[in-house]
Amino acid sequence: MTHELSPPEQWLQLYGDILYRYGMARVRDSEIAEDLVQETLLAALKAQANYAGQAAEQTWLIGILKHKIIDYFRKASREKVSEFDEQLLTDDNDDYFDQQGNWKVDLSIWSKPEKAMEQEEFIQVLQACINLLPERMAQLFVLREFEDMKSEEICEVMSITSLNNFWVMLSRVRVQLRHCLDINWINQ
Amino acid sequence: MLTCKEASLLASKKLDKNLTLRERIEFSLHTAMCGLCRYYAKDLQALHRLMQKMAKRDNTGLIESTKLSEQARERIKQTMSKVLHPIDKS
Repeated sequence: MTHELSPPEQWLQLYGDILYRYGMARVRDSEIAEDLVQETLLAALKAQANYAGQAAEQTWLIGILKHKIIDYFRKASREKVSEFDEQLLTDDNDDYFDQQGNWKVDLSIWSKPEKAMEQEEFIQVLQACINLLPERMAQLFVLREFEDMKSEEICEVMSITSLNNFWVMLSRVRVQLRHCLDINWINQ
Repeated sequence: MLTCKEASLLASKKLDKNLTLRERIEFSLHTAMCGLCRYYAKDLQALHRLMQKMAKRDNTGLIESTKLSEQARERIKQTMSKVLHPIDKS
């Protein structure tokens, strides 16, 4: 099945909010998300001649937006990241584990049933917890979980110097998120 | 024997790639003894699946009310029409 494009004048009306929401979930900054929507539509204008009709219009536009988001992350990773990573990876002041590597946080309200996790309130708390992460950690997590990028690709985009560092950083994000969910979401 | 910190790293890693045989054995030994890490691994897995579901549905936790502002919409519209109708100077 091949698809046809609607007139570019209608794109903003038809897909503006969808693209914006997609971008917001990933970059979590309204100004940046707005810019990304604009860049996406402009890039789509230029690329429309090459549209082969294999993907539905919306999927095609989201595909362009994905590239724009990854470019944005790539640019954001050019500045001062090695300092951030080094500090994170060498920090002895671990909030979650003691010197012996034992859990230091209270794990009393662990293990939520998965059904409960699909509730609207849970997802909102999850978004709030992602927002609380340091920018770089949130980007790493988003690329891994939402964009399903491979470890090597993420290292390349985010200028992470070794795979080993990547695994440690990703694990840190998850510990932190898991803990944030614990303290902020009360299972009814 | 792994520490909980080391085990937490493997609990995370195993969501993204296949562990080596050695890692698998070490992780199993640790979680056989450690209830906390067993729960932790289970919760991470649930969270991971949820994130994937959200991404697939494009329901990334943002409700319908998350919309482009009127100003942004107007700005994008004007930028678009400049490209679409370059001669029109109005």
